[in-house]
Amino acid sequence: MALLEMQGITKEYKLGKTIVRALRGLDLTIAAGKVVAIMGPSGSGKSTLMHILGALDTPTGGTAKIDGSDLESLKERQLVALRGQKIGFVFQTFNLIQTLSAQRNVELPMIFQGISAGERHQRASALLEKVGLGDRVRHRPNELSGGERQRVAIARALANDPEIILADEPTGNLDTETGNAILALLKGLSVKDGKTLILVTHDPEAAIIADRVVRLRDGCVESESAGGEV
Amino acid sequence: MFFEFLRLAGQSIAHRRLRSWLTVIGVFIGIAAVVGLISLGLGFEKTVNDQVSGIFGVDTFIVVNEGSFAGGPPQHGGSGDEYALDLELLNSIEGVKVAAALRERTGFVQGQPDADGEQLQGFLPVLGLSPELLTEFESFTGELKVMSGGRLFEPGDVEVAVLDLEISQRLGVEVGDTILVAGDGSNELTLTIIGIMAPQDTEEDDSGGGFGAQFGSNSEGDTISVPYGTMDLLWGQADDVLVTLVRTEPGYDVDEVADRAEEALNEQGSEIMTITYGDISEQIGQFTNIANAILAGIAGISLVVGAVGVMNTMFTSVLERTKEIGVMKAVGAKNSHVLSIFLIESGLMGLVGGIVGSAAGIGLAVVFTKIINSGGVFMGGVNMAIVISPWLLAYTLLGSFALGALAGFFPALRASKLPVVDALRYE
Repeated sequence: MALLEMQGITKEYKLGKTIVRALRGLDLTIAAGKVVAIMGPSGSGKSTLMHILGALDTPTGGTAKIDGSDLESLKERQLVALRGQKIGFVFQTFNLIQTLSAQRNVELPMIFQGISAGERHQRASALLEKVGLGDRVRHRPNELSGGERQRVAIARALANDPEIILADEPTGNLDTETGNAILALLKGLSVKDGKTLILVTHDPEAAIIADRVVRLRDGCVESESAGGEV
Repeated sequence: MFFEFLRLAGQSIAHRRLRSWLTVIGVFIGIAAVVGLISLGLGFEKTVNDQVSGIFGVDTFIVVNEGSFAGGPPQHGGSGDEYALDLELLNSIEGVKVAAALRERTGFVQGQPDADGEQLQGFLPVLGLSPELLTEFESFTGELKVMSGGRLFEPGDVEVAVLDLEISQRLGVEVGDTILVAGDGSNELTLTIIGIMAPQDTEEDDSGGGFGAQFGSNSEGDTISVPYGTMDLLWGQADDVLVTLVRTEPGYDVDEVADRAEEALNEQGSEIMTITYGDISEQIGQFTNIANAILAGIAGISLVVGAVGVMNTMFTSVLERTKEIGVMKAVGAKNSHVLSIFLIESGLMGLVGGIVGSAAGIGLAVVFTKIINSGGVFMGGVNMAIVISPWLLAYTLLGSFALGALAGFFPALRASKLPVVDALRYE
């Protein structure tokens, strides 16, 4: 069964007095364990799609199912639980909490799941080790480089061992070399751990690591191709 | 989870150190004012109560004219504070151990002829006091001293007098001499002088002295003091009793005995009321409660200002951290989690303000008490007590946390309701 199933998705929102139609009947199915790159120009509906895929937002029309659950039928707290347990987010601007150490940032999603301090600590340390920051646990975000911050963010995304990793322009604020290292790290999560990885990106390099590339235009899927090439 | 949220809130406060302290100062000033003023009020109340109970004791009541304590208009013409009294009746009431009274009137007095054979005579204040006043109620009268060679009244004394120093000199009499005092009609008595009041150390009049002065006798005055019974011989019972002190037998309820005495005496035609320590304590309590309420009200205004400061800081904080709130929600925070974190954060600022403010308030109360005591301006040099009430502190700390949390409620609610997508987009 498909892990993510989008059928006839529309999304409209008001921007001042004008109604913006961000998605216009989009169909997309993503199987578990795959790496999918979603590409497209600005305004094509990439971000809106990512919000729906990540259960951060619900569609105006159509059916959006995540792991079999229809978002429309879920209550707010079920959406919260879905985000907390099944989905991990990686953002372009890292979005780490500035007041917390790397360790505490990674622990944050586990705090909201009510996981005990001991287990939290152990898992966060292991995850930071895994992303190559075992010696940086006590550093605050502003004491880390861009690449290191994104690694912390990836560790945080993995905190509750989600099935889906949603990365929104994960290399957008990084130089090419660092960006490629981050992409390699993300790819590894799919290959080694079987995570489903969805990359929303402008970065042609990202398409290389993908199994599938989905191109959006004007709120619809314009074309699809196999990954591994630009 | 509360502990984790406490930690998150604490880290956030610590991160915005300067602004957090400025906010805390707003709360701190209000709390310091409340704690300081109330502590001073409590100290005042305790001091007055201690003074009154030290003089009064729990087994004593006083008898005064009906109108003189309750604040009503005087019942009689004139000064209205005097009343007639049957002291023997009062002494015979069940539960009364000893009653002692003080009465005063003006009488015609004649002294000894001087060297030129001139004899001073005139109308002078004559004070009648029960010898028991001096023996049983010293806490009321203070320590009265006579000059060497003399003595004060003893039970059984009748035709004797104690003179103030000045009048004894003017009358030209010494201990052992006699004076003539004329009463009603043809009543007149020749009284032997048994003592002359010693000059008081006016500089250092120690505790209780304030009451002693009320009892009339001092070295500079012109009062002739005689035993209470002697007044009866001269004038009979009359509307000239100033005050009566009554001590009850052990085991009797002072309020019951006082009620009984009041009833019995008023049946006899006296128009009196009794005052027990409980009555006075209640009056003091009422007064200090009103004073405290007014002071707390004034101080409360600064608390409101502090609360508005917390609210302002929290609204700013929510705005600044919009994206952070979005991130927290994206990684699985419920609305209630966000609400809790922000409430705890504002509550913590209130609590810190409360702790620092309580300490400062107590400090203020101590300093003010010391200033008052060093100036000797309070109640004739009585040292005012310093009262640190654990209840006051407990309520203050609880209240300051609640104040902070309350002020932070709307900002926190706004934070918790932010739509996650909008919050994440916020720049």
